[in-house]
Amino acid sequence: MEFRKWIVVSWVLAALGNAAALWMIFGYVRTEVTMGLVQKIFYYHVPSAICGYILLGICFVCSIGYLWKMDPFWDVIAYASAEVGLVFITIVLVTGPIWGRAAWGKWWVWEPRLTSALILWLMYAAYFLLRLFSGKDARTARISAVLAIIAFFDVPIVHFAIKWWGNVVHPKHVALESDMSLTFLVSFLGVLLLAAALLLTRVQGTPRRL
Amino acid sequence: MRGFFRIAFLVFRKDFREELRRKENIAVSVFFAVLSLVLFYFSLDPTQIDLTTAGAGFLWLIILFAGSLFMGACFRKETETGTLHALLLAPADRGAVYLGKYLVNLLFLLFLEGLLLFVAFILLDFRAGKGLWPLCGVWFLVSVGYAGVGTLLSALITQVRGGEILYPILLFPILIPLVIAAGTLTQAALAGSNVWQSQWLRLVGLFDIIFITASLFLFEYAVEE
Repeated sequence: MEFRKWIVVSWVLAALGNAAALWMIFGYVRTEVTMGLVQKIFYYHVPSAICGYILLGICFVCSIGYLWKMDPFWDVIAYASAEVGLVFITIVLVTGPIWGRAAWGKWWVWEPRLTSALILWLMYAAYFLLRLFSGKDARTARISAVLAIIAFFDVPIVHFAIKWWGNVVHPKHVALESDMSLTFLVSFLGVLLLAAALLLTRVQGTPRRL
Repeated sequence: MRGFFRIAFLVFRKDFREELRRKENIAVSVFFAVLSLVLFYFSLDPTQIDLTTAGAGFLWLIILFAGSLFMGACFRKETETGTLHALLLAPADRGAVYLGKYLVNLLFLLFLEGLLLFVAFILLDFRAGKGLWPLCGVWFLVSVGYAGVGTLLSALITQVRGGEILYPILLFPILIPLVIAAGTLTQAALAGSNVWQSQWLRLVGLFDIIFITASLFLFEYAVEE
């Protein structure tokens, strides 16, 4: 019962946070001069990427926790965070091309950060398929945990490989005006709260039997 | 520690003999690789494309696919006949079993690469020149990491229903940085540049160390009963 109350609270906070973020994006912050309206996608694109990485980090930690303690509780969180993380990386991969089309004139540019996100998406989509098709027993949980740990070790290597291989399009340091950084902060909070609400809901919805 | 390597060697010897006797895994994977090379030639216009440059990338795709065909099966017969239980009872760390299987896979990859290179020299007029030895070094280092991840994931997927079709989709995304490095280094070696100073080689080395260490530790959890 206690847990359900937290889910309601998290959803209320997520709704408030995102309402505030949307109001700030469309009603408060200035429209960027060179890119125009499409730049506003930045306020969801970047926070989604950060949240995606955080969630996959949680999946890694909980996978270790599961192999260590063999407690299904850890597995449930690992699975849920991978699933929600996949959703947020998908958001990054959808909003990226929309922004890219306006900024670079092409839907997809093989640009380091976008490419890293794509590879990450492929790895965790594979994890998701494994969980989807190989049953719900303890064996699948154990195998998935090993896979998640291996995949997470790959993240820094992917990062360097793509950085050396690709050409840099993303600006290294973004100098944001104060109203823009405030809006970014609020939208980041909104996305973070949404991620938390989704994660809690997903954890609650998964039976804890293996 | 001596027991560890002894068991690893025994597992290696057992699997090596078995593969040589059964031959079907080796034969099918090698045939698939040669077939892919021929298909690759037909899919391009050889008058328009420099086959050595395009081949550098493509040979790695063939090695990836043919290698996964072979490695994906390295635990299958153990689970089919129930001998995996017996193997895990070996009086040593389970990493030894992994190491034995790993060495067979590595040996196969090196054999496949040598053969493929030979066929590429003949069919594609592949020119390595002075780059041949750097090329061999690069391919060896890449294979070390490839076999490391391949063997661990092979142990994972043989335990789940329909694991065989999942094997390549679990394996290939993890190998992407290795494929980029392999393609870049192969091209560099063929162009005659010094690959030993390359940052890509260090990346491959890092990949090898991380994944073999991780696999030795994780294998115990990968096959737990």
